[in-house]
Amino acid sequence: MMTTNTLALCRQAPYGDALAREGLEAILAAAAMDQAPAVLFLRDGVFQLLPEQAPSAIGQKSLLRNLQALPMFGIETIHVCERSLLERGIDAKQLAIAGAEIELVADTGGFIAGFDSVLSF
Amino acid sequence: MKFSLVIYGAPHASESAATALRFARTLLAQGHQLYRVFFYGDGVHNGSALSAPPQDETDTVGDWQALQREHGLDLVVCIAAAQRRGLLSDSEARRLEKPAANLADGFELAGLGQLADASANSDRVVTFG
Amino acid sequence: MTLHIVSRSPFSSNALADCIGTFSDGDALLLIEDGTYAASGFMPENIAVGPVYCLKTDADARGLQVPETFQAIDDARWVSLCVEHKPIVSWFK
Repeated sequence: MMTTNTLALCRQAPYGDALAREGLEAILAAAAMDQAPAVLFLRDGVFQLLPEQAPSAIGQKSLLRNLQALPMFGIETIHVCERSLLERGIDAKQLAIAGAEIELVADTGGFIAGFDSVLSF
Repeated sequence: MKFSLVIYGAPHASESAATALRFARTLLAQGHQLYRVFFYGDGVHNGSALSAPPQDETDTVGDWQALQREHGLDLVVCIAAAQRRGLLSDSEARRLEKPAANLADGFELAGLGQLADASANSDRVVTFG
Repeated sequence: MTLHIVSRSPFSSNALADCIGTFSDGDALLLIEDGTYAASGFMPENIAVGPVYCLKTDADARGLQVPETFQAIDDARWVSLCVEHKPIVSWFK
Protein backbone atom coordinates (compact mmCIF):
# COMPACT_ATOMS: atom_id res chain seq x y z
CA MET A 1 0.00 0.00 0.00
CA MET A 2 1.40 3.37 -0.99
CA THR A 3 1.30 6.18 1.49
CA THR A 4 1.67 9.76 0.46
CA ASN A 5 2.75 12.63 2.55
CA THR A 6 -0.32 14.84 2.95
CA LEU A 7 -0.77 18.46 4.00
CA ALA A 8 -4.09 19.86 5.16
CA LEU A 9 -4.27 23.54 4.26
CA CYS A 10 -6.81 25.38 6.45
CA ARG A 11 -7.72 28.71 4.88
CA GLN A 12 -11.23 29.55 6.09
CA ALA A 13 -12.24 31.58 9.11
CA PRO A 14 -14.37 29.63 11.58
CA TYR A 15 -18.20 29.87 11.72
CA GLY A 16 -18.83 31.90 8.55
CA ASP A 17 -17.96 28.97 6.31
CA ALA A 18 -18.68 25.31 7.09
CA LEU A 19 -15.41 24.31 5.44
CA ALA A 20 -13.44 25.39 8.53
CA ARG A 21 -15.28 22.88 10.73
CA GLU A 22 -15.51 20.20 8.07
CA GLY A 23 -11.80 20.58 7.38
CA LEU A 24 -10.90 19.97 11.01
CA GLU A 25 -13.25 16.99 11.09
CA ALA A 26 -11.51 15.54 8.04
CA ILE A 27 -8.10 16.07 9.66
CA LEU A 28 -9.20 14.37 12.88
CA ALA A 29 -10.72 11.46 10.94
CA ALA A 30 -7.47 10.95 9.04
CA ALA A 31 -5.45 11.16 12.24
CA ALA A 32 -7.73 8.62 13.89
CA MET A 33 -6.77 6.24 11.04
CA ASP A 34 -3.06 6.80 11.73
CA GLN A 35 -2.81 8.94 8.60
CA ALA A 36 -2.38 12.25 10.37
CA PRO A 37 -1.63 14.98 7.82
CA ALA A 38 0.59 17.94 8.52
CA VAL A 39 -1.59 21.00 9.17
CA LEU A 40 -0.95 24.55 7.98
CA PHE A 41 -3.21 27.47 8.88
CA LEU A 42 -3.02 30.12 6.22
CA ARG A 43 -4.78 33.43 5.37
CA ASP A 44 -8.16 33.69 7.19
CA GLY A 45 -7.61 30.15 8.50
CA VAL A 46 -5.42 31.66 11.23
CA PHE A 47 -8.59 33.15 12.75
CA GLN A 48 -9.49 29.57 13.77
CA LEU A 49 -6.69 29.77 16.31
CA LEU A 50 -7.86 32.86 18.20
CA PRO A 51 -8.41 32.11 21.89
CA GLU A 52 -11.65 32.92 23.71
CA GLN A 53 -14.05 32.08 20.88
CA ALA A 54 -17.59 32.03 22.29
CA PRO A 55 -19.92 31.00 19.45
CA SER A 56 -22.76 29.49 21.50
CA ALA A 57 -24.88 32.63 21.06
CA ILE A 58 -24.68 32.24 17.27
CA GLY A 59 -25.80 28.63 17.55
CA GLN A 60 -22.46 27.01 16.88
CA LYS A 61 -20.11 24.70 18.75
CA SER A 62 -16.66 26.09 19.44
CA LEU A 63 -14.15 25.03 16.84
CA LEU A 64 -11.43 25.31 19.46
CA ARG A 65 -12.56 21.97 20.87
CA ASN A 66 -11.76 20.30 17.55
CA LEU A 67 -8.39 22.06 17.49
CA GLN A 68 -7.61 20.96 21.02
CA ALA A 69 -8.27 17.36 19.94
CA LEU A 70 -5.47 17.50 17.33
CA PRO A 71 -2.62 16.65 19.76
CA MET A 72 -4.69 13.80 21.22
CA PHE A 73 -4.71 12.29 17.74
CA GLY A 74 -0.98 12.69 17.27
CA ILE A 75 -0.88 16.09 15.56
CA GLU A 76 1.53 17.80 17.93
CA THR A 77 2.85 20.51 15.63
CA ILE A 78 0.52 23.12 14.21
CA HIS A 79 2.04 25.13 11.39
CA VAL A 80 0.88 28.72 11.01
CA CYS A 81 1.72 31.18 8.24
CA GLU A 82 3.66 34.01 9.84
CA ARG A 83 2.66 36.62 7.26
CA SER A 84 -1.04 35.79 7.60
CA LEU A 85 -0.79 36.53 11.34
CA LEU A 86 1.07 39.76 10.69
CA GLU A 87 -1.45 40.98 8.10
CA ARG A 88 -4.30 40.34 10.54
CA GLY A 89 -2.64 41.96 13.54
CA ILE A 90 -2.45 38.69 15.48
CA ASP A 91 0.43 38.18 17.88
CA ALA A 92 1.65 34.58 17.71
CA LYS A 93 2.06 34.66 21.49
CA GLN A 94 -1.75 34.89 21.80
CA LEU A 95 -2.11 31.46 20.23
CA ALA A 96 -1.89 28.33 22.31
CA ILE A 97 -3.24 24.82 21.83
CA ALA A 98 -2.56 22.62 24.87
CA GLY A 99 -0.25 19.77 23.95
CA ALA A 100 0.67 21.22 20.58
CA GLU A 101 3.54 23.35 19.45
CA ILE A 102 2.79 26.31 17.19
CA GLU A 103 5.41 26.55 14.48
CA LEU A 104 5.50 29.71 12.38
CA VAL A 105 6.19 29.23 8.68
CA ALA A 106 7.77 32.10 6.76
CA ASP A 107 8.19 30.39 3.37
CA THR A 108 4.75 28.85 2.87
CA GLY A 109 5.45 28.08 -0.79
CA GLY A 110 8.56 26.08 0.05
CA PHE A 111 6.71 24.35 2.87
CA ILE A 112 3.78 23.32 0.64
CA ALA A 113 6.14 22.08 -2.07
CA GLY A 114 7.48 19.46 0.36
CA PHE A 115 4.23 17.45 0.24
CA ASP A 116 2.91 14.89 -2.24
CA SER A 117 -0.69 15.80 -1.70
CA VAL A 118 -2.57 18.84 -0.39
CA LEU A 119 -6.13 18.81 0.90
CA SER A 120 -7.54 22.35 0.83
CA PHE A 121 -10.11 23.34 3.42
CA MET B 1 -1.34 7.45 -12.67
CA LYS B 2 -3.90 7.15 -9.86
CA PHE B 3 -6.04 10.25 -9.25
CA SER B 4 -8.63 11.09 -6.63
CA LEU B 5 -10.93 14.09 -6.84
CA VAL B 6 -12.50 15.97 -3.93
CA ILE B 7 -15.59 18.01 -4.73
CA TYR B 8 -17.06 20.76 -2.56
CA GLY B 9 -19.48 22.39 -4.99
CA ALA B 10 -23.19 21.57 -5.31
CA PRO B 11 -24.27 20.93 -8.91
CA HIS B 12 -26.23 23.76 -10.52
CA ALA B 13 -24.99 26.10 -7.76
CA SER B 14 -21.27 26.18 -8.51
CA GLU B 15 -19.34 25.30 -11.63
CA SER B 16 -16.93 23.03 -9.79
CA ALA B 17 -18.84 19.75 -10.16
CA ALA B 18 -19.18 20.24 -13.92
CA THR B 19 -15.49 21.09 -14.20
CA ALA B 20 -14.61 18.01 -12.14
CA LEU B 21 -16.70 15.84 -14.48
CA ARG B 22 -14.81 17.18 -17.49
CA PHE B 23 -11.50 16.56 -15.73
CA ALA B 24 -12.55 13.03 -14.73
CA ARG B 25 -13.60 12.14 -18.29
CA THR B 26 -10.34 13.52 -19.67
CA LEU B 27 -8.06 11.66 -17.26
CA LEU B 28 -9.94 8.39 -17.84
CA ALA B 29 -9.68 8.91 -21.63
CA GLN B 30 -5.91 9.25 -21.19
CA GLY B 31 -5.78 5.87 -19.47
CA HIS B 32 -5.24 7.16 -15.93
CA GLN B 33 -7.08 5.59 -13.00
CA LEU B 34 -9.67 7.38 -10.92
CA TYR B 35 -9.26 5.83 -7.48
CA ARG B 36 -12.11 7.73 -5.85
CA VAL B 37 -14.33 10.80 -6.14
CA PHE B 38 -15.09 12.14 -2.68
CA PHE B 39 -18.02 14.53 -2.29
CA TYR B 40 -17.71 16.80 0.73
CA GLY B 41 -19.39 19.94 2.03
CA ASP B 42 -22.08 21.14 -0.40
CA GLY B 43 -20.61 18.68 -2.90
CA VAL B 44 -22.80 15.98 -1.31
CA HIS B 45 -25.71 17.31 -3.39
CA ASN B 46 -24.07 15.73 -6.45
CA GLY B 47 -25.47 12.48 -5.06
CA SER B 48 -29.10 13.58 -4.89
CA ALA B 49 -31.53 11.29 -6.69
CA LEU B 50 -34.09 14.12 -6.53
CA SER B 51 -32.17 16.57 -8.70
CA ALA B 52 -34.40 17.35 -11.68
CA PRO B 53 -32.87 20.00 -13.94
CA PRO B 54 -34.77 21.19 -17.04
CA GLN B 55 -34.20 18.93 -20.06
CA ASP B 56 -32.10 21.47 -21.95
CA GLU B 57 -29.64 21.78 -19.06
CA THR B 58 -26.80 19.50 -18.04
CA ASP B 59 -27.86 16.71 -15.69
CA THR B 60 -24.82 16.60 -13.43
CA VAL B 61 -26.09 13.80 -11.20
CA GLY B 62 -26.98 11.71 -14.25
CA ASP B 63 -23.57 12.42 -15.78
CA TRP B 64 -21.80 11.14 -12.67
CA GLN B 65 -23.99 8.03 -12.71
CA ALA B 66 -23.21 7.37 -16.37
CA LEU B 67 -19.47 7.77 -15.77
CA GLN B 68 -19.75 5.50 -12.73
CA ARG B 69 -21.47 2.76 -14.75
CA GLU B 70 -18.98 3.04 -17.57
CA HIS B 71 -15.84 2.93 -15.43
CA GLY B 72 -16.99 1.34 -12.16
CA LEU B 73 -16.05 4.51 -10.28
CA ASP B 74 -16.00 4.77 -6.52
CA LEU B 75 -18.27 7.79 -5.89
CA VAL B 76 -18.24 8.39 -2.14
CA VAL B 77 -20.46 10.94 -0.43
CA CYS B 78 -19.31 11.92 3.06
CA ILE B 79 -21.95 10.61 5.43
CA ALA B 80 -21.52 13.34 8.08
CA ALA B 81 -21.73 16.18 5.54
CA ALA B 82 -24.67 14.43 3.82
CA GLN B 83 -26.73 13.98 6.99
CA ARG B 84 -26.39 17.67 7.83
CA ARG B 85 -27.55 18.67 4.35
CA GLY B 86 -30.38 16.17 3.98
CA LEU B 87 -28.92 13.49 1.74
CA LEU B 88 -29.76 10.05 3.07
CA SER B 89 -29.57 6.44 1.94
CA ASP B 90 -32.50 4.08 2.62
CA SER B 91 -30.83 2.63 5.70
CA GLU B 92 -29.84 6.06 7.04
CA ALA B 93 -33.35 7.42 6.51
CA ARG B 94 -34.77 4.49 8.46
CA ARG B 95 -32.17 4.75 11.21
CA LEU B 96 -32.70 8.50 11.62
CA GLU B 97 -36.50 8.15 11.23
CA LYS B 98 -36.67 10.54 8.28
CA PRO B 99 -39.57 10.36 5.80
CA ALA B 100 -37.53 9.73 2.64
CA ALA B 101 -34.20 8.66 1.24
CA ASN B 102 -32.57 10.40 -1.73
CA LEU B 103 -29.10 8.94 -2.35
CA ALA B 104 -28.78 8.34 -6.09
CA ASP B 105 -27.76 4.94 -7.47
CA GLY B 106 -24.06 4.67 -8.11
CA PHE B 107 -23.10 6.75 -5.07
CA GLU B 108 -22.33 5.42 -1.61
CA LEU B 109 -22.30 7.06 1.79
CA ALA B 110 -19.12 6.53 3.79
CA GLY B 111 -17.06 8.16 6.49
CA LEU B 112 -14.26 10.69 6.26
CA GLY B 113 -11.75 7.87 6.52
CA GLN B 114 -12.37 7.38 2.79
CA LEU B 115 -10.89 10.82 2.12
CA ALA B 116 -7.75 10.01 4.12
CA ASP B 117 -7.55 6.67 2.33
CA ALA B 118 -7.90 8.37 -1.07
CA SER B 119 -5.12 10.80 -0.24
CA ALA B 120 -2.85 8.00 1.01
CA ASN B 121 -3.45 5.79 -2.03
CA SER B 122 -3.52 8.24 -4.94
CA ASP B 123 -0.63 9.75 -6.83
CA ARG B 124 -2.59 12.99 -7.24
CA VAL B 125 -5.51 14.55 -5.39
CA VAL B 126 -7.29 17.45 -7.06
CA THR B 127 -9.80 19.58 -5.14
CA PHE B 128 -12.72 21.22 -6.95
CA GLY B 129 -14.06 23.97 -4.67
CA MET C 1 6.86 21.63 -7.90
CA THR C 2 3.36 22.78 -7.05
CA LEU C 3 0.54 23.33 -9.53
CA HIS C 4 -1.72 26.10 -8.21
CA ILE C 5 -5.27 26.10 -9.60
CA VAL C 6 -7.24 29.33 -9.19
CA SER C 7 -10.98 29.27 -9.91
CA ARG C 8 -12.18 32.67 -8.66
CA SER C 9 -12.12 36.09 -10.27
CA PRO C 10 -9.24 38.25 -9.01
CA PHE C 11 -11.69 41.18 -8.96
CA SER C 12 -13.93 39.60 -6.30
CA SER C 13 -11.79 37.11 -4.40
CA ASN C 14 -8.36 36.92 -2.82
CA ALA C 15 -7.81 33.45 -4.29
CA LEU C 16 -5.28 34.63 -6.89
CA ALA C 17 -3.49 36.99 -4.48
CA ASP C 18 -3.34 34.27 -1.81
CA CYS C 19 -2.00 31.83 -4.36
CA ILE C 20 0.68 34.22 -5.57
CA GLY C 21 1.63 34.83 -1.94
CA THR C 22 2.62 31.18 -1.62
CA PHE C 23 4.25 30.80 -5.02
CA SER C 24 7.69 29.17 -5.16
CA ASP C 25 10.25 29.02 -7.94
CA GLY C 26 9.30 26.33 -10.42
CA ASP C 27 5.61 26.36 -9.47
CA ALA C 28 2.97 26.73 -12.16
CA LEU C 29 -0.34 28.61 -12.11
CA LEU C 30 -3.49 27.44 -13.86
CA LEU C 31 -6.56 29.66 -14.21
CA ILE C 32 -9.91 27.89 -14.51
CA GLU C 33 -13.58 28.87 -14.25
CA ASP C 34 -13.88 32.47 -12.97
CA GLY C 35 -10.13 32.45 -12.40
CA THR C 36 -9.83 33.10 -16.14
CA TYR C 37 -11.08 36.66 -15.55
CA ALA C 38 -7.46 37.39 -14.63
CA ALA C 39 -7.08 37.61 -18.41
CA SER C 40 -9.20 40.76 -18.36
CA GLY C 41 -8.06 44.31 -17.68
CA PHE C 42 -4.80 45.04 -15.96
CA MET C 43 -4.30 41.66 -14.33
CA PRO C 44 -1.97 39.82 -16.75
CA GLU C 45 0.94 42.22 -16.18
CA ASN C 46 0.40 41.96 -12.43
CA ILE C 47 0.89 38.23 -12.32
CA ALA C 48 4.64 38.23 -11.88
CA VAL C 49 4.92 34.46 -11.70
CA GLY C 50 5.38 31.90 -14.39
CA PRO C 51 4.33 29.89 -16.17
CA VAL C 52 0.65 30.88 -16.27
CA TYR C 53 -1.77 28.47 -17.94
CA CYS C 54 -5.37 29.31 -18.71
CA LEU C 55 -8.12 26.81 -19.52
CA LYS C 56 -9.24 27.95 -22.96
CA THR C 57 -12.71 26.39 -22.72
CA ASP C 58 -13.43 28.41 -19.58
CA ALA C 59 -12.03 31.65 -21.05
CA ASP C 60 -13.97 31.12 -24.31
CA ALA C 61 -17.16 30.46 -22.35
CA ARG C 62 -16.79 33.91 -20.81
CA GLY C 63 -15.92 35.75 -24.01
CA LEU C 64 -12.35 36.37 -22.86
CA GLN C 65 -9.26 36.64 -25.03
CA VAL C 66 -6.35 34.76 -23.49
CA PRO C 67 -3.38 37.17 -23.51
CA GLU C 68 -0.09 36.07 -25.04
CA THR C 69 1.55 36.07 -21.62
CA PHE C 70 -0.70 33.11 -20.68
CA GLN C 71 -0.61 29.68 -22.27
CA ALA C 72 -4.10 28.68 -23.39
CA ILE C 73 -4.57 24.95 -22.75
CA ASP C 74 -7.25 22.28 -23.15
CA ASP C 75 -8.48 19.71 -20.59
CA ALA C 76 -6.01 17.07 -21.83
CA ARG C 77 -3.08 19.40 -21.16
CA TRP C 78 -4.57 20.14 -17.74
CA VAL C 79 -4.42 16.45 -16.86
CA SER C 80 -0.83 16.26 -18.05
CA LEU C 81 0.07 19.34 -15.98
CA CYS C 82 -1.31 17.45 -12.97
CA VAL C 83 0.87 14.48 -13.86
CA GLU C 84 3.94 16.71 -14.18
CA HIS C 85 3.41 18.60 -10.90
CA LYS C 86 2.88 17.75 -7.27
CA PRO C 87 1.34 18.70 -5.01
CA ILE C 88 -1.74 20.29 -6.58
CA VAL C 89 -3.27 23.15 -4.59
CA SER C 90 -6.70 24.58 -5.44
CA TRP C 91 -7.58 28.15 -4.54
CA PHE C 92 -11.36 28.44 -4.69
CA LYS C 93 -12.50 31.04 -2.13
